[in-house]
Amino acid sequence: MDKRLQSILWTLIAVLVVFLLLIYVGGNVFGVERLQTGENPVLRFVFVIIGLLLTFLVYYLTKENEAWQVGTREVVWMAIGAALYAVFSWLFNGTVFVVPSLSQVSLRPAIAIPMFFGYAFGPVVGFFSGAVGNMFGDALTGFGLSPQWSLGNGLVGFVAGMAVLYKNKKKSMNSALWISGVLSAVAVVLFFLNRNMENMMFFAPEEGIFGDATISMFAGISIIVGFLLVLIVRFAFNENIDIAAAVSWSMLGNIVGIGFAAISDIWINGFSPEAAIVGEFLPAAGPNLIFAAILVPLLVAAYDAVQTQSGR
Amino acid sequence: MLVSWRYRDRKSLIQWFDPRAWLIFYGCFLATTLFFWDVRFLAPLALLSLFVLITSGVTWAEMRRAFLFIIGFVFFFAILTFLTGRGGVEVYEKEHLVRKFTAPFTILGWRPTLKITVERLFFAASQFVRVFSIAIMTILIPYTLNPALYGVTFKGLGLPDKIAYAMDLTMRFIPTFGRDFQLTMDAQKARGYELEKIEGGLIAQVRKLGPIIVPVTIHAIIGSEDIIDAMDLRAFGVGPRTWLQELHYQTKDRILIGFGVFMLVAAVVILFLGYGDFWVPEALIQSLAK
Repeated sequence: MDKRLQSILWTLIAVLVVFLLLIYVGGNVFGVERLQTGENPVLRFVFVIIGLLLTFLVYYLTKENEAWQVGTREVVWMAIGAALYAVFSWLFNGTVFVVPSLSQVSLRPAIAIPMFFGYAFGPVVGFFSGAVGNMFGDALTGFGLSPQWSLGNGLVGFVAGMAVLYKNKKKSMNSALWISGVLSAVAVVLFFLNRNMENMMFFAPEEGIFGDATISMFAGISIIVGFLLVLIVRFAFNENIDIAAAVSWSMLGNIVGIGFAAISDIWINGFSPEAAIVGEFLPAAGPNLIFAAILVPLLVAAYDAVQTQSGR
Repeated sequence: MLVSWRYRDRKSLIQWFDPRAWLIFYGCFLATTLFFWDVRFLAPLALLSLFVLITSGVTWAEMRRAFLFIIGFVFFFAILTFLTGRGGVEVYEKEHLVRKFTAPFTILGWRPTLKITVERLFFAASQFVRVFSIAIMTILIPYTLNPALYGVTFKGLGLPDKIAYAMDLTMRFIPTFGRDFQLTMDAQKARGYELEKIEGGLIAQVRKLGPIIVPVTIHAIIGSEDIIDAMDLRAFGVGPRTWLQELHYQTKDRILIGFGVFMLVAAVVILFLGYGDFWVPEALIQSLAK
């Protein structure tokens, strides 16, 4: 590992330690409640750093791979991906339709952008598109900042781009497919378990809260709907490995990225694990997956056509 | 063709400072605001942001659209919070009922009821102040940050050359793609495309987004070839980058950064002392609650 990367890594670790100390000393020793549970602004940054360390680990393990080269083309694609993601998420944020859920998670068709950019141009471009695009998108709406969600979106693009790290495209694609299948199944099982126990649901209709059971039902199974759509696309385009691999990896990226952000909210916002998975992960990741299954193949097919035409 | 943000040279408080110093200050302001739910601490921050807005020299005509959009957005969320109690549940435990409305009908066995409580009213107000001050500070940035300085500003904040340049390009592309989106939308509408028309299932609806998202994205990628060529011809990324304009911190910038850091540290200290959580005036509870 060269010197520069080493210094970045150590800086990240040092910052992480400082934040953890702040939380430990402030939260546990001095008993400052704002640093323990509830909406916790300090922990957000801890999770950003944990996420960055995770991406660093992947990079370190595969650092010989060409996918990590960043040249002129990658710099421009990063900027395009991030700007498109910001513009689309700004324009579609709440203007198309909104499903009520925890923490203002809304339907975001724009999620197809970091997935496509990650898959087409590699993990670095995907990460930048997702993370910076989400940051600017939030800034455009003038709405706070949730760095852990920016990082989660970055991971969506990053994992989608990990497709290029494997030599055997077909095999890696199938593993991505089945890992995501298992993870979605687990989430849905949690959803059905917690449907029967009403006290676990964050939105209780008796209290006059708008998020009602029917929408949760759709949100709860939407990830399965999305998974089935991905499966259909995967086998319908068995010949066209690009489209099949793009949707499979996008799905894994979506589950890992959104899962990371939602699970970090267990500590940041003090949700119960059930509330984080059922109330936040499913209503965000499920619809995302439906958008991914439909929009990513369209983008990949269109880009293929451009490549054949221009010969690049 | 690139469309740019509405930046122009103004004699104003923001533009008097070095852009790096302002961004650092902005970061501190953001973090400080996010720490608090207490209106007594949020109010001075909101006043500060209003002061910055008034001295920014951005005219109403220039920022009307963005401003109205954000005001609408902030109101929407404050009202949503008020109606649903969403988010507030974590901050307060007891609610004092002012009035309760019950709908005379049921939807699928669920009877809509609206409880107006002192806490919800005040929480919506606190959230309004909080989001409002963040929003004002955020929308001023594109109006007041010189596009020629984007790259060197991000570089000056410690990002590597390539990432700084990518951030620079991102900021420049956003208004352009916004325009492209609008153009594509109009062109598709002229061909009979109807995004607003709600019919068909979920999948049909998602597919409807294709005719907008695909052309805008592919057009952007094809257009990027020219930018890539231009950058390659100027030997982008071959050696360490130099910037046409350099930035130097002056005393006023150091003071601004110092002020920002002081604000942040003070906020942390106040939190440690146990203040800053959601607060409702006792008098209000006594006068309103039954």
